[in-house]
Amino acid sequence: MPEIRVTPLGAGQDVGRSCILVSIAGKNVMLDCGMHMGFSDDRRFPDFSYITRSGRLTDFLDCVIISHFHLDHCGALPYFSEMVGYDGPIYMTQPTQAICPILLEDYRKIAVDKKGEANFFTSQMIKDCMKKVVAVHLHQTVQVDDELEIKAYYAGHVLGAAMFQIKVGSESVVYTGDYNMTPDRHLGAAWIDKCRPNLLITESTYATTIRDSKRCRERDFLKKVHETVERGGKVLIPVFALGRAQELCILLETFWERMDLKAPIYFSTGLTEKANHYYKLFIPWTNQKIRKTFVQRNMFEFKHIKAFDRAFADSPGPMVVFATPGMLHAGQSLQIFRKWAGNEKNMVIMPGYCVQGTVGHKILSGQRKLEMEGRQVLEVKMQVEYMSFSAHADAKGIMQLVGQAEPENVLLVHGEAKKMEFLKQKIEQEFRVSCYMPANGETVTLPTSPSIPVGVSLGLLKREMAQGLLPDAKKPRLLHGTLIMKDSNFRLVSSEQALKELGLAEHQLRFTCRVHLHDTRKEQETAVRVYSHLKSVLKDHCVQHLPDGSVTVESILIQAAAHSEDPGTKVLLVSWTYQDEELGSYLTSLLKKGLPQAS
Amino acid sequence: MDPECSRLLPALCAVLADPRQPVADDTCLEKLLDWFTTVTAAGSSLLLLQENPCLVELLFRVLKSQDLSSRILSFSLRLAGIFAAQEDCFQYLQQGELLPMLFGEVGPLGGAAWTAPAVRSGWIQGLRTLAQHPSALRFLAACGAVDTIFSLQGDSSLFVASAAGQLLVHILDLAMRGPARGRCSPQACDWPACAQKIVCHIEDSLCSIATPQVTQALNVLTTVFGHCRGLWTQGLWVRLSPLVARLLEKDPVPASHSLVDLLLSVARSSVPSSDRGLWETLAQTLSHLSPTQAGPLALGILKLQDCPQALRTQAFGILLQPLACVLEAAAQAPGPPGLLGGAAGDPMTADTLLCSKSACVGLLCCALTHLGLLQPLPQRPSPWPQAPLLGAAVTVLRLCSGSVAPTSDVGGRLCAILVGCGRVQRAALDFLGALSQGAGPQESVTQVFSVLLEYLMSPESSSMVLKKAFQATLRWLLSSPKTPGCCDLDPRTQLFLRELLPVLQKRLCSPCWEVRDSGLEFLTQMTRHCGGQAGFRQALLASEVPELTKQLLQDPESYVRASAVTATGQLSSWALLAAPASPERPGAQQSLLVELLHVLCADSEGFPRRAVMQVFTEWLRDGHADVAEDPERFVARVLQAASRDPDWEVRAQGLELALVFLGQLLGPRGSHCPCAVALPETAPPGTLAQALPEAAPPGTLAQALQVLCRVQLFEFAFRALFDCDRPVAQKSCDLLLFLRAKAAPCGSPQEAGDSPNVASVEATLQRWQAGEQGQPLGYLEPGAVMAVLRSIDLEGLRDTLAESSDHVEKSPQSLLQDMLAAVGVLGENEADCY
Repeated sequence: MPEIRVTPLGAGQDVGRSCILVSIAGKNVMLDCGMHMGFSDDRRFPDFSYITRSGRLTDFLDCVIISHFHLDHCGALPYFSEMVGYDGPIYMTQPTQAICPILLEDYRKIAVDKKGEANFFTSQMIKDCMKKVVAVHLHQTVQVDDELEIKAYYAGHVLGAAMFQIKVGSESVVYTGDYNMTPDRHLGAAWIDKCRPNLLITESTYATTIRDSKRCRERDFLKKVHETVERGGKVLIPVFALGRAQELCILLETFWERMDLKAPIYFSTGLTEKANHYYKLFIPWTNQKIRKTFVQRNMFEFKHIKAFDRAFADSPGPMVVFATPGMLHAGQSLQIFRKWAGNEKNMVIMPGYCVQGTVGHKILSGQRKLEMEGRQVLEVKMQVEYMSFSAHADAKGIMQLVGQAEPENVLLVHGEAKKMEFLKQKIEQEFRVSCYMPANGETVTLPTSPSIPVGVSLGLLKREMAQGLLPDAKKPRLLHGTLIMKDSNFRLVSSEQALKELGLAEHQLRFTCRVHLHDTRKEQETAVRVYSHLKSVLKDHCVQHLPDGSVTVESILIQAAAHSEDPGTKVLLVSWTYQDEELGSYLTSLLKKGLPQAS
Repeated sequence: MDPECSRLLPALCAVLADPRQPVADDTCLEKLLDWFTTVTAAGSSLLLLQENPCLVELLFRVLKSQDLSSRILSFSLRLAGIFAAQEDCFQYLQQGELLPMLFGEVGPLGGAAWTAPAVRSGWIQGLRTLAQHPSALRFLAACGAVDTIFSLQGDSSLFVASAAGQLLVHILDLAMRGPARGRCSPQACDWPACAQKIVCHIEDSLCSIATPQVTQALNVLTTVFGHCRGLWTQGLWVRLSPLVARLLEKDPVPASHSLVDLLLSVARSSVPSSDRGLWETLAQTLSHLSPTQAGPLALGILKLQDCPQALRTQAFGILLQPLACVLEAAAQAPGPPGLLGGAAGDPMTADTLLCSKSACVGLLCCALTHLGLLQPLPQRPSPWPQAPLLGAAVTVLRLCSGSVAPTSDVGGRLCAILVGCGRVQRAALDFLGALSQGAGPQESVTQVFSVLLEYLMSPESSSMVLKKAFQATLRWLLSSPKTPGCCDLDPRTQLFLRELLPVLQKRLCSPCWEVRDSGLEFLTQMTRHCGGQAGFRQALLASEVPELTKQLLQDPESYVRASAVTATGQLSSWALLAAPASPERPGAQQSLLVELLHVLCADSEGFPRRAVMQVFTEWLRDGHADVAEDPERFVARVLQAASRDPDWEVRAQGLELALVFLGQLLGPRGSHCPCAVALPETAPPGTLAQALPEAAPPGTLAQALQVLCRVQLFEFAFRALFDCDRPVAQKSCDLLLFLRAKAAPCGSPQEAGDSPNVASVEATLQRWQAGEQGQPLGYLEPGAVMAVLRSIDLEGLRDTLAESSDHVEKSPQSLLQDMLAAVGVLGENEADCY
């Protein structure tokens, strides 16, 4: 029985490291290869031993697909390919391929710098891993091998994020990765065609939330930044190198221009150029507005945002600084935070999630006295704000996507169990499809009924058309032919063509039947009576009385003979070919009713 | 336990037991368990529970709570396991009937919570930790846990099922380690009841007609023979081996993959010494399994240190079969005996190769990989059929590229299957590279070079295939024989090189960055190893490769720019970058130094700048001609550029370069005061020490310090000492400690401790330490430097830096505080992510 099997190694009932194994018609695909930022030991990576147990990785897996550049979706990739030993192809979009190494490199540096980890992937490993990547374009069908094909769709969320359709024969799975159904400042909304997959694997971060308009959050953000700057304070916005930072930069840039503000805005050195470079390079991946205005003005060429130098942190007066890393756990952002934390006029805005153990997590949970190295205590007097700018589809958006794709089954990942449970019921009720939410390590098996494509010969179709009936999708009709299975292909052809192609001689098969009639006349007369009767009944058919006394109707032959024992009874021998089975049966039943009395 | 943690613990336990207070971060509970594991490993669990009654209370409250999350329940089961691992604590918990309530029928096992895999997993992990002593064994038997574990082997969660199998092995080992230690009787009656039960279950499973059950039993046994060292394992094998052998009678053999794992695990254990029948079973298995299934077993057998020759021959034959079939199918005419010494190919292998594309690709890739893994091992079969294997690898590659047209039917079909198949190409190129370690007949090597060239030239080759082709080519070139009597390449290799370089030239212009980069990596390695060989130099200088490499310093892709930096650096080291400096073109070589300095100052990406620093360090270390001209100026310029770099790895590399410079100036680490040694004699030719006599007479520390001051090394190192990135500060600390150690025994040339210069330096350093690094130090007097060096507590700083910078945040207090602080603030951000 053909089936689709899905096993999350990560993102099963959690929002951690996404890594989902899909087996479809004998092909094995790994969807995302993420890491968990909250761990600094082996637990940060998915447990790949469950795959290596099945033999060599490269033999087992046909490909790896990465949905976007966030570390919880791609952070384990160099480890998987260069340390665990996967040597096969890795598919991702071009922007993801370009940006992925930057974030991996950033993370590698943090692991080495902050945690002093020696057994971590190196820069060379990141490069070697990226060389295994095959870039895919949106809506381009990529043939992984003769049977397996993939296709990317726009997912919003971050630059280059994509949903992927994985298809083997007639069976298909769609994996959404992270997506956003509403456009934002720099990206468009996710879109997929009505591809009716056997299974849709969708993220469910906001499974129970209907998010308010992003405009409100943006207004709130600008208000807070503006107020702080107006009162002479400094604003620190810890960000990761690429992604949300650019969205916020566009926001501030536009606002600064509109309000004619003079306070400087800085961005970690080198990152503005880098971000600019990638956004310019991948302008088709941004939203419609940016694409349209790109020729007159590139939204990513900021007038007000300048590169940051360490010395600026001590400058007097208000300023806004975007600094990495995003969770205040090391490097420049932490250094600036330590400088500014003591002044209540200043503000830190955390635009994203922080894992436990980071300074970001501590201040977000309200801690105001932080123990730093050397038993120093840092008193946080500056204002601390959390503003979620993560771009995930909310419950409404998820339902919208399910409606768009029309899957046969839905499987939820990347969310919390309780919320998934709620969404699962909603999907099952509204769309009448089965919805699954496996935990990590649990396998969902879906039986499928693969449709086998059959080619119909032109001759057969022409013959059908000649009958004058035009094809109509709403009125399926039967088409008779011979099914030929040759070279793993199925074709429906006319029987004549089948015989010719297969080099076979035709065998005639005739059905025969005896009908007893009470008739005292001679056999020849009975035959004439049969002829007359049939001639009168079967006006549309060719009824003939042959010289040898037999009667034919199309291929049906009727002969009258005397009964060996009863001279008052005649035996009609009826025979017909399988092509005239219908007519033959009809005639037999007609003759069994007897002949009309001669007038 | 830390008093602060003891103080926070009751509040945390109350929060954990309260279903209305969800725990935000799923890593917190894991970290909490890690902490308890550390605490109990260091002291008495019983004492811990007695001093912190809130812990037992937490376990009781968890049991009573109706709507507690599965995560907390799982956590509690694991926590109880950690405590109960110590026997006295186990008894303590037993007195309160806590353990049966947690792990017995009345606990979560019988409730709705059991449907959550996290709870089942917690239950297993709790028992796994708990099962450390005889009391635990009795408890397991009494509460019927073993039966539950049996059923969990078939759990819907891979993690739970696997953990259940591991737990069974652990219990079996524990039971057999006890009173039955040393026994190896296969008679069940001798074994403890618990072990008997498990072994009977394994026996039943092995006899089952359901493959999953057979698989579970085989997996458990694999772990037993892989991890348990007791003599009893030999008895176990004697008892179970007939059942295992019986699996081979079935067609198809069930759970073949697990069977192979088990047999190899047994073969690696102490069993073979007592049971020679194992070899027979292995031989039978090899002949019963399909070629694809038998491959891993054959490789495993050949890796064994000690096994019968006949079995090794059989195993090697299996690995060779697919390639033998390929050779046979592609042969134009009957040739010399192939891989199998003229023996007929296995029809089953041929069938597998031809039945479908995926089967053919899978089998060939496995065979190529297995043989490649075997090649470098000392226990590889001998004689090793190097020439036929080379022929096979070349043939496979040619079938894949479509450059051979076999006349036979089978060959034609193989060709149709393999043509353009990247997976086989990659595997075959890896294998071909591995074969470079052995010698081959001249004809074979010519074929190897020819097929490699074909692949490197082919427009059909993907970037990964090209990378592998470059790697294989490098291996062959580096292992090629040298001309007798001199260290130059032999004529055939030189001829190949002359053909190769135009291809490399073309590849360096590829639109695909991966290809350009692989080409540059190849060039760097070749130059590093063959830069001094006349043949290579001649061929390279006659080509446009050096010029193209230099042009790639402007490549749009930063990875390629970085590789170009490394390659040009290497070429320049061997004077291969341009025509040797002549009176007409004096600046030809010098320009690269300027160009690389420009990259260091201006490149927006970190990779090229890091590469420049590595090249410069190497140049300084090896006494590159351009550096030797004026090392002082060189170091000053490089350090100035590196100090401003936003990338900490560039700054750290700057310190590496500074350390090399110091070593050349003051003698290497570990040697004594430089005052005692004549500098020029210890330094390599062309380095600073050679140049010093012109600048200042060597032999005095003061002169060396003057040089260091002039290149502003101290400003660079002091600034780095307070760098926000820890590795930079650590490296700087090491450097300054080295300097101080070198200088201290000699005493200070000028006592400058109280001079105004010292006070100003110290004041600036304090500001730097506070994060205000705007102000420069200005010119420093050597005396002031030494005084400052003595006044800084470098050892203390080194110890602080040795701890990872998040050690405070990683502390248990921090964890408890974070968990408590997070209560009630789980608003909007609870389900947020990146």
